[in-house]
Amino acid sequence: MNRAPRKIEGFAIEFDEERIWRHIGYKKKSKEIKESLKKIIDSEKKRLGYLLEAKAIYRILPYEKTDKHPIFQNAEKVGLCVCTIGPKLEQESAKLMRENEILRALILDALGSEAVEEVANQANIIVAEEGKRMNLRPSKRFSPGFGEWNIKEQSFIFQVLPADQIGVMINEAFMMIPRKSISFRINFFKK
Amino acid sequence: MKSNGLTEKIKKAIIEGNRKDAEELAKEAVRKKLNLMKIIEDGYIQGIQKVGELWEKGEYFLPELITSAECMKGAMGILEPELKKEKIKARFKGKIIIGTVEGDIHDIGKNLVAGMLAANGFEVIDLGADVRPETFIEKASEEKADFICLSALLTTTMLGQKKIIELAKEKKVRDKFKILVGGAPISQKWADDIGADGYGENAMAAVKVAKKIIEKK
Repeated sequence: MNRAPRKIEGFAIEFDEERIWRHIGYKKKSKEIKESLKKIIDSEKKRLGYLLEAKAIYRILPYEKTDKHPIFQNAEKVGLCVCTIGPKLEQESAKLMRENEILRALILDALGSEAVEEVANQANIIVAEEGKRMNLRPSKRFSPGFGEWNIKEQSFIFQVLPADQIGVMINEAFMMIPRKSISFRINFFKK
Repeated sequence: MKSNGLTEKIKKAIIEGNRKDAEELAKEAVRKKLNLMKIIEDGYIQGIQKVGELWEKGEYFLPELITSAECMKGAMGILEPELKKEKIKARFKGKIIIGTVEGDIHDIGKNLVAGMLAANGFEVIDLGADVRPETFIEKASEEKADFICLSALLTTTMLGQKKIIELAKEKKVRDKFKILVGGAPISQKWADDIGADGYGENAMAAVKVAKKIIEKK
């Protein structure tokens, strides 16, 4: 069955504080993080409500309908997904940068990176569950640019998924716009 | 008028990342008609150098570096127009053209590097992201820059760094600028392979490399 693309919205995003600290170059243990820095992180977090527009779109294709790239080999079906948090956060981060609020810009960027990762994690579960309901075994998720799957293969995902419906495009370097977007595949195998 | 007390306060403000003080002290120096170049060199630059040392010792992290760089930018925004008014040419360590290569729209890392270079006394002209190779060369020639700093965040766009070095050779201007490269997929090996003059693993490393090159000049 060649399933039509499905959109996912309404993600509830939670943050792992320590991962945010690592993003902004802090290696210290949590108790040693300056209170002033924690306050800035908290104040940026509070603004996320209107800066995040988390969406995803996915599709599960039979192997025959893929471009038969070696990385799909032996898969019965392939789930392809694009996730994003939209353009608002990165626009706000760029604005802060221009205003010489570099630290806040970096913190917002870190929160955005974590948020889109969380969206991808949640979308991963949804796509994998759908495969499981078809009595298939899902692989982990893989993104173009990692391992054997060249970033150029991004074009295949965008051929079969109307990612423009969630506002995501790719440029000539196969980079997704908005930047805070993640694409991935899940291979589904017979049990 | 003596400025010793003030430069010490300035150093403290920069080291502690106290932007309000850093800017107020700049205003005070202007009000008291002090030697602003001396204030910059003995106060602000000394302060940011200390911040760099604390970072190298592992006592400071990126947020502290950035906060101090913000303080520097805020204070320079007050002092530089005054220097211009007095027709005093600010003394920079060198002129840098920086940007993210064509096709690549990442700019936060590049902005951090630009900020740290500026805070450490370089004159920085930021061309932004997705910059054509020709633009780097044209602007660097026009501005008589000492450095071209190239950022790339993807394996697909890092080739743009090579393209710019080749273009500089083609235009016979390769020896006019030192070309530094950086970005997530970049390594010293890549820098050597493409014939770059230096590689900065992070913002402070970029400052260090640029300083080392300029000292040799």
